[in-house]
Amino acid sequence: MPLDQEPARQRHLSDKVVIADDDATQRIFASTVVSRIGFTPVLARDGLEALEMIERSGASILVCDLDMPGIDGHEVTRRIRATDLGRYIHVVMLTAAGQAEQRRLALEAGVDDFMTKPLDAAMLTVRIRAAARLVDHEQALSAKHRALQLAKRRIEHDLNVAAEAQRRLLPSRTRDIRGCRFGTAFQPSAYVSGDMFGYYQLPGDKLGFYAVDVAGHGVHAALLSVAIGHLVTAQYFADKVGSDPGAADPAAMVQDLNDRFFHEDGTEYFTMFCGVLDQHSGRLFFCQAGYPSPILARGDGTTELVGDGGFPVGLLATADYHNGVIDLGAGETLILCSDGAIEAEAPDGTAFGEDRLRGLVAEHARKDVEALPGAVVAALAAWRGGRPLEDDLTVLALERSFSA
Amino acid sequence: MIHSHVQSNGLCVIRPEGDRLTALGANAFRQEASALIDAGSNRVVIDLSAVRFVDSSGLGAIVGLLKKVGNRGEVVVCGLGDAVRQMFRVTRMERVFQIYPDADAAVAALDA
Repeated sequence: MPLDQEPARQRHLSDKVVIADDDATQRIFASTVVSRIGFTPVLARDGLEALEMIERSGASILVCDLDMPGIDGHEVTRRIRATDLGRYIHVVMLTAAGQAEQRRLALEAGVDDFMTKPLDAAMLTVRIRAAARLVDHEQALSAKHRALQLAKRRIEHDLNVAAEAQRRLLPSRTRDIRGCRFGTAFQPSAYVSGDMFGYYQLPGDKLGFYAVDVAGHGVHAALLSVAIGHLVTAQYFADKVGSDPGAADPAAMVQDLNDRFFHEDGTEYFTMFCGVLDQHSGRLFFCQAGYPSPILARGDGTTELVGDGGFPVGLLATADYHNGVIDLGAGETLILCSDGAIEAEAPDGTAFGEDRLRGLVAEHARKDVEALPGAVVAALAAWRGGRPLEDDLTVLALERSFSA
Repeated sequence: MIHSHVQSNGLCVIRPEGDRLTALGANAFRQEASALIDAGSNRVVIDLSAVRFVDSSGLGAIVGLLKKVGNRGEVVVCGLGDAVRQMFRVTRMERVFQIYPDADAAVAALDA
């Protein structure tokens, strides 16, 4: 396309050209050429005036004589580059023939293009148009960048609000429920988590607790984990596990969840561990539904894995669930960790694994139960070599007090 | 990306790409394997001998194929490493899938 048939560009700031020259004849000549091709000339008689005009007019193109009284073209360019104007200023420098060393200095100062005096109208025309194309392009990119930044800030804000809403679903300040003390850690891999947990006092001096881990992570998984968090209330828990004083039935609750969340054409599912502790006897009835086996820290310093597996929830219509039972003695602790713990990989790809986790728990179990989850989080951070976890992490530690 | 060996009798051996079947690749694995089932393979061997780690999304993809084939055929797995076998144990998938030591054993059993 010939230059003079260039379609009318949507010009914003690049329609103004500052012309800085101490020679009035040169100024007027350049101004005429610039006007003829549809730009608005803004005239300056020296370097300081040029800087002022750039700031005041919003121009993005400067045609500047090198030799001017006061501050010269080099200095004008240096000051422009040192100032944050919020836009790029394209600088075309006018030099006399044979000023090769001056041109090198001008490039160092930040000049974009050169023209040799005396000025030629055709050459100035193409240089200004080339400069305008670059300026327009730069401005279009800046506008896109600003739009993306704005969108990113909105999305981050939304996610932070969602993350806060999810955290509010977790048991808040309650660290003690009649004879039991809890320690927890909840770390989403990004903003919101596919994990959820809860614990509550149930009728008949019983205590209910659960942890779930939705397959996958991120927003998609969090939508389901939050739905579960709203569904599994103390009331729901108490209704489903039954009121038999001798034996609770957490498997019945898991069965109900499987009936609710299984869809023939669905792909979502979750793993779960839930339990009911009789606070008098220390009998703990549990149901393991694909969730990693919790670690039981015994009073004698040994550890055991609890449960031998079970179907995840919402994965298979025909899944059936079973109860297990253990005794949790006074001073003993049960620790649930989502699979984000054992699956956490060191920089060389080695998984943290069950044995290391058991070792860590054995080391910390006799200390403060509230501090234990933090110790797991710290050990995993060290194992990861500072890289963030790739999966959501939950640690729920439950200690039966001596005074129960 | 998967590697598959399709036989004319509806038998197909599928190997997932790479040594991990996780959230990152599980969807693509499911879609590509689903296409093979749509194309007529209804006896599927999922060969996990090169896979050292399957996460919950990977397991979801494997079970998704089982649901898709349904009563029309069979989905079996083979070549389970320690970590994958542990995952199958804790989720009771060892009761859902026939597990074979390797692809040859799986194919022989399905062909019998």
